[in-house]
Amino acid sequence: MKKKLLSMLLITAMSVTFTAGCGGSGNDTAKTEDGAASGSGSSESGEKVLDVWVPPLDDDTVNNWGGLMGDWEEENGCKVNITVVPWDKYEETYTTALNSGEGPDVGYMYNEMFPTYIDAGAVTDMSGYVTDEDKAGYKYLANGFMMDGQYGWPLVTGVPFVLYYNEEILADLDESAPETWEDFERICKAATKDTDGDGEIDQFGYACGMSTSDVGAMQILNAYYYSALWQNGGQIYEDDLKKVAFADEAGTEAVTWLKDMTQYMNPDFMSLSWSDAFATVFGEGKAAFGVYRSSQTDGTVFAETYPDVKWDFVTSLKNKGFGTFGATDCLTLMSAAEDQDLAMDFIKYVTGAAFMEQYHAKCPGAALTNSEPYVGDEKMEKIYTDDLDKWHGLQVGPCGVDILTQLSADFQGIMSGELSVKDGLKEAEDYANDLLAEYWADKE
Amino acid sequence: MMDMRKKHPGAAKVAPYCYIAPITLILVTFVIGSVIGSIILSFTKYNIMTEPIFQGSKNYVKLMSDIKFIKALKNTLGLVVLIVPLQTVLGVVISVFLVANRHRFLGKLANSVVFIPVICAPAVAGVVWRELLNGKIEIVEKFFGLFGIQPSMLLGNARTALITVGMVAIWKWMGYYVVIYTSGLLAIPDTYYEAAKVDGAGKVRCFLSITVPLLRPTIILGIFLSMASSLQCFDLIFNLTGGGPNNASTTLVVYAYSKCFGSGDAGYAMAISNILFVVILAVALLQRDMMKRKTSEVS
Repeated sequence: MKKKLLSMLLITAMSVTFTAGCGGSGNDTAKTEDGAASGSGSSESGEKVLDVWVPPLDDDTVNNWGGLMGDWEEENGCKVNITVVPWDKYEETYTTALNSGEGPDVGYMYNEMFPTYIDAGAVTDMSGYVTDEDKAGYKYLANGFMMDGQYGWPLVTGVPFVLYYNEEILADLDESAPETWEDFERICKAATKDTDGDGEIDQFGYACGMSTSDVGAMQILNAYYYSALWQNGGQIYEDDLKKVAFADEAGTEAVTWLKDMTQYMNPDFMSLSWSDAFATVFGEGKAAFGVYRSSQTDGTVFAETYPDVKWDFVTSLKNKGFGTFGATDCLTLMSAAEDQDLAMDFIKYVTGAAFMEQYHAKCPGAALTNSEPYVGDEKMEKIYTDDLDKWHGLQVGPCGVDILTQLSADFQGIMSGELSVKDGLKEAEDYANDLLAEYWADKE
Repeated sequence: MMDMRKKHPGAAKVAPYCYIAPITLILVTFVIGSVIGSIILSFTKYNIMTEPIFQGSKNYVKLMSDIKFIKALKNTLGLVVLIVPLQTVLGVVISVFLVANRHRFLGKLANSVVFIPVICAPAVAGVVWRELLNGKIEIVEKFFGLFGIQPSMLLGNARTALITVGMVAIWKWMGYYVVIYTSGLLAIPDTYYEAAKVDGAGKVRCFLSITVPLLRPTIILGIFLSMASSLQCFDLIFNLTGGGPNNASTTLVVYAYSKCFGSGDAGYAMAISNILFVVILAVALLQRDMMKRKTSEVS
């Protein structure tokens, strides 16, 4: 009986402990509510703390950034806590953290992420903090202006998807770098052939990968779709953001042209991601063209990775105009930040020339300000000089993630031949316009 | 025992409740609580970050005309239709083989090998198979080529993506079902087979007239476990295809996840989850009913 009573006591104790564990302490709750746990609150020693969440920006973001924070931290009496959130759980981490009041003071978002957070009031319009000096000094500040507010402060930009070409294949065909869609199509057609005479095509015009399994649905739009759409004068939304415009005449023409180009693509283009296609098809000298997200260091990196490929690139082809996608990932001021001025000061500090010059010396990237010198390979510099107006970020609009995810799926359907261009775009358009109609009805 | 009950009748009555209290608390808090929470939130417009706003049955009405939901529902059911019969038949056949050869070296080896994929995390299995099927590994290409299959085309084709996912799922969980069926087979007394042999029954007759009828409760259990896990399949799909191409392998769980964490539409995601919950609940009730009927038939 004693044993029985003892076991009952133990079970009761376990239950009480479990219940207590579920409850959480009052202190914890207070900490979250007053912002100390998640914001520019104070640490136990009384020092101000600023929480900053970023994705992996390089191979050691915490140390690469942390090592350059000393002056700012000292000047402001504030400790900066940098948290690196892995890409595969990025949005999930933000939404769950904001739900529990544990979000950062300064966040990092890509364009498609913003609408949800703007609508939820989770990010602050920084328009009031933009000075004339900022407008003159920052090169891409306008890219952070979206949905009637300066919600983003560009941090990582200048890595547009550009069209690389194999100089040797083009030379064999007596061709030079393509400038227009006609040039591109002509070269692709000539390049797609059986080079070793075994009866199988082993060289392709265009190395493409439209699988989204490991890279995310948006990536095929980034790599292939936006450039065709923009070069043909199309856009995703109508100007008032009430409806989508991608299924209009320009959009339909653009997708039809891309669909026609599939005959010059590697046959497994639906199974490879864009990066795999570039590495395994273009990188191995099996295609005349390949699309890749450019980097200032491509000259150096490609020399090691693809030593046998003689390459160059064109930033954008021209049809009705130029255009290719260059991401504009931004720092953003979270509404939960207790000391908004301090958080804003931090944002300007890390995006400023002094910080970025030191950071880019360690991890090359596009200069964000006019006063920061270009750091990188000479070959790639034209992206930031002559071709600066040939690439841009995404038009940010409501329901962006849903609309673009469906568009990406239908685009896959079209490219694989499962859907006709008309049917695929119609399906994506109807889906998008229904969402937008509901969104704007809710707003009214 | 009787003395103790007589001495402390109150304690004896309370004791069972104390024993089940911890697990009950856990179940109520984390299982029933979250189900109730999900049902309530599915009637709201909720983006996780702000307070939910009640909007009646709007999410459910919207589901009925949502092409992505309908496609995801079809894919989910398609996956069940593909996985469950194959997993059951193959599971039973492999188990019979393993039980028959359990004392031989190869039987013992196969017994261990068949369980290895179960230990592997689904996400890891997904990534490994994605790499195997992306056309980069020549030996894999050649192996599949023997059957006239180009592995690099499997996941990128809307017609084959879901089937490929189903095959990988069958491979992944086969060991689990083999263990269940093996334990069922080992519970069948050898005397039945010996008696049948004396009566002149061959192996096929023994299998059909002894093994299958006596294994039926275990098979029913296996079928329903397989149905429930197929309906909830997520990690494999997420890592193999991400739901593509053209949503060809998007299931209800994948769609609910993308709505919740991609679009920030948690209320809608909960409505999707609740539809799935109803389907799984129906499956569970059906299983309970069939098991009960089987038990009463046996008794």
